[in-house]
Amino acid sequence: MDENTVNNRDEQDPSKSSRRNFMKNIGLLGAGVAAGAGALYSGDIFEKKKAATGESKVLLTQDNKLVEVDSLEMKVLAKNPEKLKLQEGREGIPGKRWVMVIDLSKCRNARRCISACQDAHQLKPEQYHMNTLQMQDSPGTAPYNMPKNCQHCDNPPCVAVCPVDATYKRGDGIVLIDNVRCIGCRFCMAACPYSARIFNWTTPKDADKHSGETYNVELNVPQKIGTVSKCLFSADRCREGKLPYCVSACPNGVYYFGDENEDAVTNGTTKETTRLSKLLRDNGAYQLMPELGTKPRVYYLPPKNRLFPFEPSTD
Amino acid sequence: MKRLFCLILLLASATWRLEAQNPGWPVPDDQKGKICLVKFTPDMVKQGEAIYMKNCQSCHGIPTKKNFAAIVPSPGDLSESKVGSQKDGELFYRITTGKVPMPEFRNILTEDERWSVISFVRTYHKGYKQPDPEKLAGAAGKRIRLSMAYDTVKKKIMVKAVELSKDGPQPAKGAEVVIFIQRYFGNMQLADPKPTSEYGYAGFDWPQDLPGDKRGNVIVTARVNDPTGSMQEALVKDTLTIGVPTDKPSLTDTRAMWSTRDKAPVWVILTYTLAVLVVWYFIIYIILAVLDIRKIKQV
Amino acid sequence: MEKIVNDLSHHIRLNKGFFIWMGFLVLAFLACLYAYTRQLQYGLGVAGVRDYISWGLYISNFVFFVASSLIGMLISAVLGLIGFKWVHPITRIAETIAVAFAAVAGLVIVMDMGRPERLAYVFMYARFQSPILWDVTVITTYFVISLLLLFLPMIPDMAVLYKRFSKLPSWLKPVYKVLSLNWTDHPEQNRIIHRSVYILLILIIPAALSIHTVTSWLFALTVRPGWDSTIFGPYFVSGAFVAGSAAVIIAMYFFRRNYKLQDYLTDMHFNNMGKVLVLVAFVYLYFNINEYLVPGYKLKRADALHLHELMAGNFAVMFWLVQVGGLLIPIILLLFRRMRRPMPLTVISVAVVIGAWFKRYLIVVPTMAHPFLPVQHVPENFKVYTPTLIEIAITLLSFILVLIIITLISKFFPVIPVVETAKDKGLDPLKSIES
Repeated sequence: MDENTVNNRDEQDPSKSSRRNFMKNIGLLGAGVAAGAGALYSGDIFEKKKAATGESKVLLTQDNKLVEVDSLEMKVLAKNPEKLKLQEGREGIPGKRWVMVIDLSKCRNARRCISACQDAHQLKPEQYHMNTLQMQDSPGTAPYNMPKNCQHCDNPPCVAVCPVDATYKRGDGIVLIDNVRCIGCRFCMAACPYSARIFNWTTPKDADKHSGETYNVELNVPQKIGTVSKCLFSADRCREGKLPYCVSACPNGVYYFGDENEDAVTNGTTKETTRLSKLLRDNGAYQLMPELGTKPRVYYLPPKNRLFPFEPSTD
Repeated sequence: MKRLFCLILLLASATWRLEAQNPGWPVPDDQKGKICLVKFTPDMVKQGEAIYMKNCQSCHGIPTKKNFAAIVPSPGDLSESKVGSQKDGELFYRITTGKVPMPEFRNILTEDERWSVISFVRTYHKGYKQPDPEKLAGAAGKRIRLSMAYDTVKKKIMVKAVELSKDGPQPAKGAEVVIFIQRYFGNMQLADPKPTSEYGYAGFDWPQDLPGDKRGNVIVTARVNDPTGSMQEALVKDTLTIGVPTDKPSLTDTRAMWSTRDKAPVWVILTYTLAVLVVWYFIIYIILAVLDIRKIKQV
Repeated sequence: MEKIVNDLSHHIRLNKGFFIWMGFLVLAFLACLYAYTRQLQYGLGVAGVRDYISWGLYISNFVFFVASSLIGMLISAVLGLIGFKWVHPITRIAETIAVAFAAVAGLVIVMDMGRPERLAYVFMYARFQSPILWDVTVITTYFVISLLLLFLPMIPDMAVLYKRFSKLPSWLKPVYKVLSLNWTDHPEQNRIIHRSVYILLILIIPAALSIHTVTSWLFALTVRPGWDSTIFGPYFVSGAFVAGSAAVIIAMYFFRRNYKLQDYLTDMHFNNMGKVLVLVAFVYLYFNINEYLVPGYKLKRADALHLHELMAGNFAVMFWLVQVGGLLIPIILLLFRRMRRPMPLTVISVAVVIGAWFKRYLIVVPTMAHPFLPVQHVPENFKVYTPTLIEIAITLLSFILVLIIITLISKFFPVIPVVETAKDKGLDPLKSIES
């Protein structure tokens, strides 16, 4: 086929040439990668040239340390801070597999986790990354409170359906959303069996105040209208070695959070660290709807031996 | 006799004041006088701030901002005068023992760390003057030195406590030893505290299934943390290669339906591409053929 | 011969009726476009969808559009390839409907996007694993094939009209000249057209099955009760034939009346289309029974709630109206020959199309209203879905767009294939073309 006719077809029907665009984009992507690599390389050479003068630079690292680096050693990763954040946010923290344990016997619906979460992620009161549900499994069984967030599944049905890689799973298990990429199709919301995902239907909370901020994919702020949002296991806090917002806000010791690879979880209230495997074994831990094959990273400890009565909320 | 009476009066008034401020959370008298054995330094304050932000801020908020959590009993803002008026020993005791819902930090923070938090909080208390540590030197309990080793035969961590007395080092008997293993969000206590034997030893069974890093390294801390204060806190921290070497692959290593485009299952990429190519081959073939119609003239 | 050309082409002119109708459509289009600008400005919040029921009118409408476009394949390819001659006058109507609905279906999806300005990302960052990429691909493909199937048989028609239809508006002449591609009825040209159409007719069958199967997978590939079904593909395809056949019948009726085509779209055609409709409706009924009886027999917890909501709960009125009024009664009525005459058949078809639209709503919304976990601590409008005026206007916008496309195609091109009709009657309009 000659190139001309192909172009003609595209002109006749510009919006309907997905495959062509798509193939083109693969090409573009390749070109982009090559160009990027080229830029990095030339940047590197540039730095090396400077090093000939014996220069060294003082830099502020991400964990707020001042370091002196020989410019020969420096490598430009990305010039745009937002892009750098996005890149870092896609990689996750090496060697980690985050896991959350929720002890239902301790939850008395204080909803402190919810407000801490909503404050951190700039959410409106009806927007829940974490929501405490009043559950009753069957008519004969006792009702209980169940905090429910994104289960960060190892076989995430939501991520599978995303058309643009806007939501993705990281090597450390966290399922994140890049709201600079999200097209707002809401397929992921339809696919999630845990109703964990929410949408910015209208202008997000305090949008004017936060409009100038650099987008932090690990905190998912500022929230953007027309994009999906959800629990992030406080990926930003994990990076700093701190427990997630909800976990440290709980006054009742409901939450444990930690690294499965270390076989340890830390309680957000007592700050005590215990062995994950022992905690799960001793308490008969279970997962939400494991029959769906989603392989959640959140475990629940059953609501037994409660020290307080169940108080149904009016809602 | 008179002096004794005065002392009782003093103690009584002190207790009364305390009760008024913190009903139901008395601090034993022998703990109130406890002071930090070193001068607060800016570095210490900085360390204390970091620890505070990680462990305390979620309930107490940032000092002076009054953004503490709305729970009962109220945690309160630590810059307030009712905190400022308390002695160092009182603050130290409260941090150490906790009281529901406040966690007990005895095993979570070392004494130094607890003091550094106090040093940070004290920066918000006007007119606070640190009690001179020099005055108390020597009166703060026995000095202990710890050492630690792994016994490969017994599969135990052996901790030895030595008392540094004027007569030279001697085995410290009855020192309460706790073992911690460093994990990402805090130290994990290995077993219940154990007193040292008359030879100064305490042995802890090492769980054979505890993960270490890639090489099996674990950072183990042994601590003497005597609640009575008869011994000073002692600490030894070491990296031991006794954990199960753990190098789990990243969860995104395999190709999967849920993975990124680059890691799509090969059969999906092939099927999609092949189907598109075949169908569009025919479509483009037809378009070209139809355009050829123009060139055919009637004979 | 002249009579055929005239009869089938006399409507190709700018008359008062056309201006009134188009003027009405354009005004309505602009009014609804205003609604869409509101949505662009204030976000999807102007629609009634919220976190739990996050797909509503737009997606239901999208499914309906994809369904309606499927008829092109059934009439042209399946019936055509089998060799039914009576479908010849109907093929172009079916293809027109296919092209119009397929084209607008893509736009309907854009209307549902929270970030329509990021549409290009679907191609830039396309994920092979996402059914949305598959859907975009197959709809595009199907649209192109349908467009070709509409255009190719029209080439000889345009050549004939260009040369033999004296009343062809002068401004349309250059268009016809270009589009007729120097057609001279050369045997080689005929060979190319026949060959191409033949390939396309075969190609369109998998393409058409794909578009509706993939569209059904947007639902069936999730684990939600009501969607988690293995028969969703054929269920949607058979439902699409019902909706499309009814749509074609309605279009036939209007073209027959307005363009005075009684001699070409005869009672026989309506009778046969009525039979097609009742046949596909039976197939659809069969799938319906499967879709509801199988989970209804077992009553697994989530399925039980879903079915209860459909049959006795909040959606019961709509459900039974759709099933009885839009499927069961039409099937029974259409078994009688008298009911397959143009007028009653069209009335029944209208009921079927309305039922088909609401059926899509019943597939999309109830499932989202009842997720696995309870819906708590959210405002009332999160729990119950009520479409807003803006949302309805934007949905109407898509229908108006379809009508505009169908009107334009049918008004400026012959609705019924001229050459094919002549040939069926033993005439050859092209023999004298060069003279």
